Amino acid sequence: MRFAHRVPGRRGRRLRVALCAALVASPLVAACGSDDGGITVNVYYSIEENFDKVIANCADAAHGRYKVAFTALPRDADDQREQMVRRLAAGDSDMDILGLDVTWVAEFAQAGWIAEWTGQDKADIEQGTLAGPLTTARWQGKLFAAPKNTNVQLLWYRSDVVPTPPKTWSEMLDMAARLKAEHKPATVLMTGAQYEGLVVQFSTLTAGAGGKILSDDGSKAVVDDGAVRALQALRDVATSPAVSPSLSNAKEDNIRQEFEKGNAAFELNWPFVYASMGKSNPELAKVFKWAPYPALDANKTGTSTIGGYDLAVSTYSQHKPEAFEVAKCLRSAENQKYSAINSGVPPTIESVYHDPEMAEPYPMRDAILTELKSAAVRPVTPVYQNVSTLVSAILSPPSGIDPPKTAERLRTELQDALDSKGVLP
Amino acid sequence: MAVIGTKAPGGLKARWTLIDIIVVVYALVPVLWILSLSFKTKDTLADRNFFPREWTWQNYIDIFNTSEFLRALLNSIGIAVIATVIAVVLGTMAAYAIARLDFPGKRLLVGVSLLIAMFPQVSLVTPLFEMERSLGLFDTWPGLILPYITFALPLAIYTLSAFFREIPWELEKAAKMDGATPAQAFRRVIAPLAAPGVFTTAILVFIFCWNDFLFAISLTSTTASRTVPAALSFFQGSSRFEDPTGTVSAAAVVITIPIILFVLFFQRRIVAGLTSGAVKG
Amino acid sequence: MSEAVDTPRAAVKGASDGKKAERRLAFWLCAPAALVMLAVTGYPIIYSIWLSLQRYDLRFPSQHEFVGLDNYITVLTNSYWWTAFGVTAFITIVSVVIELVLGMALALIMHRTLVARGLIRTVALIPYGIVTVVAAFSWRYAWDANTGYLSQLFDPDGAPLTQRASALTIIIAAEVWKTVPFMALLLMAGLALVPEDLLKAASMDGATAWQRFTKVMLPVMKPAILVALLFRTLDAFRVFDNIFVLTSGAQETGSVSMQTYNNLIKGLNLGIGSTMSVLIFLAVALIAFIFVKVFGAAAPGNSDNGRR
Repeated sequence: MRFAHRVPGRRGRRLRVALCAALVASPLVAACGSDDGGITVNVYYSIEENFDKVIANCADAAHGRYKVAFTALPRDADDQREQMVRRLAAGDSDMDILGLDVTWVAEFAQAGWIAEWTGQDKADIEQGTLAGPLTTARWQGKLFAAPKNTNVQLLWYRSDVVPTPPKTWSEMLDMAARLKAEHKPATVLMTGAQYEGLVVQFSTLTAGAGGKILSDDGSKAVVDDGAVRALQALRDVATSPAVSPSLSNAKEDNIRQEFEKGNAAFELNWPFVYASMGKSNPELAKVFKWAPYPALDANKTGTSTIGGYDLAVSTYSQHKPEAFEVAKCLRSAENQKYSAINSGVPPTIESVYHDPEMAEPYPMRDAILTELKSAAVRPVTPVYQNVSTLVSAILSPPSGIDPPKTAERLRTELQDALDSKGVLP
Repeated sequence: MAVIGTKAPGGLKARWTLIDIIVVVYALVPVLWILSLSFKTKDTLADRNFFPREWTWQNYIDIFNTSEFLRALLNSIGIAVIATVIAVVLGTMAAYAIARLDFPGKRLLVGVSLLIAMFPQVSLVTPLFEMERSLGLFDTWPGLILPYITFALPLAIYTLSAFFREIPWELEKAAKMDGATPAQAFRRVIAPLAAPGVFTTAILVFIFCWNDFLFAISLTSTTASRTVPAALSFFQGSSRFEDPTGTVSAAAVVITIPIILFVLFFQRRIVAGLTSGAVKG
Repeated sequence: MSEAVDTPRAAVKGASDGKKAERRLAFWLCAPAALVMLAVTGYPIIYSIWLSLQRYDLRFPSQHEFVGLDNYITVLTNSYWWTAFGVTAFITIVSVVIELVLGMALALIMHRTLVARGLIRTVALIPYGIVTVVAAFSWRYAWDANTGYLSQLFDPDGAPLTQRASALTIIIAAEVWKTVPFMALLLMAGLALVPEDLLKAASMDGATAWQRFTKVMLPVMKPAILVALLFRTLDAFRVFDNIFVLTSGAQETGSVSMQTYNNLIKGLNLGIGSTMSVLIFLAVALIAFIFVKVFGAAAPGNSDNGRR
């Protein structure tokens, strides 16, 4: 850790020295450690199983030119963003590489907190990376991050009650209603609580109806006909006889648990549910199958919103060349494969999916790959957090949606949010 | 209201036992639920049963298997104890002055300390972070101890001055007239009377420091000073979307034990203070 | 006035010397506490108030400007704010009233019980000692339609957390359960000051239990009650964790603190977020002011302090 960057004035230094002297007996005060002069690339990334192994790989690859240190960020995405933003707003030079949720890239780029990828670095990233994840790393035509891992939602269903999976939203609801009438497992599960998960559904459905929430440059709230149809679809599922009573308080993990109990027929969720089902309900796992996300338009089936994480280099980093190098290493094909198999995070490089070792943990890899090629991206705007907070509040509870009216409300309030006016709920 | 009765015939004892059982159930059933979650296996977590069907120690093994939890426990204990001691000492001094002495600016002090207690802490975190970063206090023990003292002091000052006002100080004078030195008068008369207030405050301040999440997550970044409530948010589920409910529950159980010990230790002092006060009074 | 002045027939000069000494002592006693509090919070509080007068969104640094009270108008004319304000006020009033009653009962039990006193005093405080977020998660788990024993028990087919009335009830219950011990502990320490012989005397004079409670105990406990009420109200008005975990603010159960968090930390709108902080502060200050007025002389720092 280099102290010179943290302590701007001499007075600050003297005070720190005094404090350290007072606490010299305590080895617990890490800040009093001395500076060994070598370069250390500091990686700030959310906790991920076995990520320290990946860090070690990249430290080895440096052959002693620099060290790579990993600082874990909290599990909760809001907490991660809060910590990074707080430090970046203060111009903290201790952070070199930042792990960003795909929806934060535009915000960090617009604020000037992350450095653009150019030249050979840029070419290296774009080579072989899937188009969908790559879109999340761009802002205003420039590349600001390297996609580390990605994610898409699939339709999970029980093949014992649903022989052929539905292609469209209305087909799914019809099937569920029929199963319900026959007293078979019928429940439709999706994330409907007032949080980002509801926004993901709305954005997926809108894309699946060929609609738009925001204009392409992120400056205007459009909420077109496709979005209105998506609102109608949310309302339909919320008022369907086969909906879970917990819909309006359900998050990803809640619906996973509910499906594992065996009363549901359909679940719209990320692929993590597959591994979990194998462990907690091996019987049900045998009939636990997947299909592309059912769209509103039959020809758009398999359109899903992209999740995942991108790696960016901080503008305030004192070791940018090394940081770009480490970022490339952390998301190299080899390390992505390692993480995909050992930590369950889907890769962003197409070739990794074709690796034979991927077949066992990712039997659904073809479905994921197909969706990634036609994926929907959540509205790209620097004020995405505001958009998300507003959309989730306005759409909650989904049973209360009145499509044209709700659309009108979205249009006015989203426009205010885009202009940084008004109040968030 | 039987509560105020002073004699203890058999029927009364039975009635008290019943009331006590109600209190224990009220306080402990939700805690037992957390305890039960901590012993459930991952697959039976969501089975809607109050008691685990399969018992496992795995969650406890998991949290103690990493050095991080132990380190956080150590940080929590050290930081909370130091902050409590300092806050109670400073609070006692100020409260004594407020309750017993006449000086200009008393109302100002009381008002300002209340103001500090009233300001939403979420809006103070960012400027505090900037201050601590430029002073090199970020991610150190003093970096948490200082805010804890600060935000515990208003409560400490208020509680203690409310108590000190009600203490019959003339007893001190009486003791002195009986030939006691000022030190003896303080130790034998005033200290026992003040003890309930001081130890009550100590318990409240300790719990406040122990449970704080906002400052702990915002003013630390490594295990050097991360306390347990902040460390909980670094626990992993099997994937990004799964909550580590089992390990978080186990950790919650473990970190409640020091609180119980702390309260056990201090509530005796409250009783002690009470009885001697009653005798002298 | 104080000990120094109590000496009978003190000379005028002596009195003023004593007064000076008293002030000096008071200064040295208060200085450390005042210094720490000001050093840590002085700048952050003033900075927040300053921010509330600016248009300042971290994502749009170029639009940073002084706007006077515009932010206050924006917030105070917004329906989201008033909904959250109403919810917060409702939760505060209901939970603090319940807490006071239950807290008093618990305090009397802890104070008076003849059976297992040490056990009761310790056990009763455990809810307060549990980390709030963990407690909130366990409530969510208990009430969740799929995972919980409570939903199983009370409402096997419904989802209580998705209805506004039941969700608010659960939020309040979680708040109450957690903080009754706080009230009880403060009130119990107040009870410790009630002279036992005074109660006996009242009892011999034929006072009923209720009369002894209201005429003897309550007056002595007044300062303790004030402190307990005051600090609980301040906290209750800033309720965050329980709502955040239990409902994420859905079905209009969000509090003003959640809104502040959304605007300030998530939305990075420092201007609006700080304005909300100041407004919460003003609301709480008003409540505190009313309490102090109602309780009159029980407030620390009032003129009759220092004597009995």
